Amino acid sequence: MTQPLNILLIDDEIDFVETTGKRLIRRGYSAKTALTCAEGLEIIASGWPEVVVLDVMLPDRDGMDCLREIKGKWPTLPVIMLTGHASMETGLHGLECGASDYCLKPIDLETLVEKIAIAHRESRAPGA
Amino acid sequence: MSSLFDRLISLFRGTPRLAPAELQAAFRSHYKDFRALLTANNNALELMAEMEQALGAGQPFGMAFIRGNCTALSVNIYKMIHHLTRLADGRYGELDQPFRAITKQLEQVIASKHVNTEGANILPMAEVDASTVDQVGEKMANLGEARNRIGLRTPDGFVITATAARQFIEANDLQVEINRRLKGLDIDNLEELYTVSAGIQGLISNAPLPAELEEAILGHHQQLDTAPEAELLVALRSSALGEDSSNISFAGQYRTQLNVSREFVTQAYKEIVAGKYKSQAIVYRQQRGFRHQDVHMCVGCLRMVDAAISGVMYSRAPDDPRSPFVIIQAAPGLASTVVDGSAASEQLRVSRTAPYPIVHRASATEQSQTLTEPQAAELATVGVRLEEHFGTPQDIEWSIDRAGLLYILQSRPLGHSVSEEVRESSKHSATPNDLPAPVLSGGVCASQGVGYGPVFTVRSSLDLLRFPKGAVLVIETPYPDWASLLNRAVAVVSETGQMAAHLATVAREFGIPAIFGMHQALATLENNSLVTVDATAGKVYEGRVEPLLALAPPKPNLMAGSPVYKILTEALVHITPLNLTDPASPFFRPEGCQTLHDLTRFCHEKAVVEMFTFGERYGFDDKAAKQLVVENSPAQWWVIDLDDGFTPDFDPESRYVHLGHITSVPMQAIWQGMMAFPWAGPPPVSLGGLGSIIFQSTRNPSLDPGVRSAMAAKNYFLISKNFCNLSVRLGYHFALVEANLGEFLTENYVSFQFKGGAADENRRLLRIRLISEILNEFGFRVEQKVDAMTARIEKKPGPSLLERLRVLGYLLIHTRQIDMVMADQGMAANYREKIMADLHTLMDIPTEG
Repeated sequence: MTQPLNILLIDDEIDFVETTGKRLIRRGYSAKTALTCAEGLEIIASGWPEVVVLDVMLPDRDGMDCLREIKGKWPTLPVIMLTGHASMETGLHGLECGASDYCLKPIDLETLVEKIAIAHRESRAPGA
Repeated sequence: MSSLFDRLISLFRGTPRLAPAELQAAFRSHYKDFRALLTANNNALELMAEMEQALGAGQPFGMAFIRGNCTALSVNIYKMIHHLTRLADGRYGELDQPFRAITKQLEQVIASKHVNTEGANILPMAEVDASTVDQVGEKMANLGEARNRIGLRTPDGFVITATAARQFIEANDLQVEINRRLKGLDIDNLEELYTVSAGIQGLISNAPLPAELEEAILGHHQQLDTAPEAELLVALRSSALGEDSSNISFAGQYRTQLNVSREFVTQAYKEIVAGKYKSQAIVYRQQRGFRHQDVHMCVGCLRMVDAAISGVMYSRAPDDPRSPFVIIQAAPGLASTVVDGSAASEQLRVSRTAPYPIVHRASATEQSQTLTEPQAAELATVGVRLEEHFGTPQDIEWSIDRAGLLYILQSRPLGHSVSEEVRESSKHSATPNDLPAPVLSGGVCASQGVGYGPVFTVRSSLDLLRFPKGAVLVIETPYPDWASLLNRAVAVVSETGQMAAHLATVAREFGIPAIFGMHQALATLENNSLVTVDATAGKVYEGRVEPLLALAPPKPNLMAGSPVYKILTEALVHITPLNLTDPASPFFRPEGCQTLHDLTRFCHEKAVVEMFTFGERYGFDDKAAKQLVVENSPAQWWVIDLDDGFTPDFDPESRYVHLGHITSVPMQAIWQGMMAFPWAGPPPVSLGGLGSIIFQSTRNPSLDPGVRSAMAAKNYFLISKNFCNLSVRLGYHFALVEANLGEFLTENYVSFQFKGGAADENRRLLRIRLISEILNEFGFRVEQKVDAMTARIEKKPGPSLLERLRVLGYLLIHTRQIDMVMADQGMAANYREKIMADLHTLMDIPTEG
């Protein structure tokens, strides 16, 4: 990896975002965290993130809503949905709204890191 | 990248329909979709295999597993459809219809409700029977049956129903918080389990009851108070909904509180409701496939019986459903002392036929004789009557009060640990001779079977946390609390206790061998020493006693018959059956997809075809497929480069490609396997036969059948640096090898499909079985359907997959003619040996590329 990948985690579960963020940094990624959608949008607006990991349930608004806004404004920014509440309906809805992937907690870091890397690669490949 | 660009331009030069830059973009975009589709396919197939394994293996799983896997599965199939329609320039959109239909059915299966909890929050015992089971739980429903339908004496009282429990939890909005704490809980991490369990129980016990419910409980309690001279004491008994269904008992998993006075009734009620989340109950439900939300804690509030003698009765011996005896355990005082294993009781065997004589009586001392003959006979009558009413042997708790009146406190189906066939077979197999001398001998068999492992003594909750998986649990007293260890233990030895103890019931259900009442167990068995426990014979041996272990019956599938098991079974109906097996069939169409597996199969097949025909659609000339040159002679193999599968110095104008120009790592590995061993010659029985002709055809261009246009006629490698798809049609066989070995494990896999053969059906089947066995040994997951098989291995590191590819390459060449000799089992065994020897040599070849 020449330049560390910038990853934004948006999730209101403080324990989860903080430990995941730290572990990603230990693996050579750059990671920032946001506890609300509004906070996340602010960081995205700065142009920093290259991949976003987004929880489906956020305190300030519906994660799906948040996803729609992100993909509306930044259609090429890959967003991975991550949630503790599995539902086929929201999973498919998330993909329809442009999410790169939809994953379930608990997820081991190894798998998450690969999903992030793959989502990033796909977003940069031609014809995206 | 410029070389690739140039190459593509030249490829497209023949019939230019798009500008070169556009063509290049289109091609790379297609390849990207193809790769993403393969990854999704990989994930989907792995998820399906996981679900099937869960069903077969009897490993515990919960609704979260089903919901999570179904979601991940549908997400991946959605992706496959999405990428296929892009690959096919918008075609196959009609796949959306079957996909929506199948996911809708799946959602209905997952959402299906298996219990109904509407109704009154209190029901008096006089109104309770089997028809109220969804309100009062099975324990109380059975007691109501005994009272109101059979006319037996049971304590007066009422049931605080499932509705009440729901009102209580909802009024305090506790369920979301409870689910949050249970989410992702690892039941093997005992410390975490106990912390979470204690936290949730505290949450419930400390929450206030809704005022209306508290009034109702105290009001009904007041009506029981008919004897003003003595304080009214009640027993609160848990009666979880579903707890006794289909022979599954939550024995001892929930609380019963005895001798509760009026001021503690509501607190005791809350604690019993909280007991739904006792650690062993959480583990138990997860192992047995109960959804937490489907288990509702109903509570019976019953007047205490002033017991002179109490005990447990089995209407048949637990290890023999046809036994002619009722088995009674009795002790002075309350029944709970027998059940929790703490009292030394006497055991009686009483005939099931009038006049119900006592056949055998075992008491610790003369004084501990508790039951008179008429009492034993009365009990036996009741036991037989309860069994007749419920239609299955019963496990009954009873008390006889100081006035000599018999009360039934509980009656539930008697759990049997092993199926009848297993029990029969283990009975026929006699105890082996030449056994070493046991270190311990005696006790009672609380649960049949043989187990082997290191001794681990548990004296306190601290030991509980340290209990290792696979150990022999050695205890002084079989407290119900130890039940949470039973999924980790291989056997149980207890110094005290009887087969009526709750721990024995649970051990029987789990199929864990257990000896109770084994004196000196703690003193004799040293921690960490390895022992073999023969619970059936009541003996413990030092070390591993193989002849005894060979007798051990298989463990029962604990999940079978549970609600979650049923849901997974129903869900799999829409997931795993494969109806689209033959791409040439007229039913191989989007409308033909009936399951998610069909969709993956369809998408994958069409994606490969799309990549294959990309050139046709976009104006590749027929030079796109290069004939492979090996050792300066053209072979009957063609190679199509999808991306970066050839070296940069390869001349794109050439009709041929030399092996040395191939950069595809998986293709090189397959080729290595194919060429590692020269074909040893035709098998003796078919000298000069079909097999050798087929083999010849792979190297001799003059035998090329000459059909050029159809993909079916040639053997093609579709490659990139990390990817290879090889379809082989040799004579009567069809084989497909596909592999991706990239930088991400998520994308790595090797798959193999094989079908057909020239010989008669019997030989073809034998050959497929041989290939299946070999691939199994190399870690493939193999599925066989008539004379077609598929084998997959995924998410493994590159080097190990390269080994597997060499194995497949070898098998492609060397098994083709095997069906010619397959009729002869002895010869088949010889071939198998030779093949395995070759393959192990292949494993040692250093990886190239």
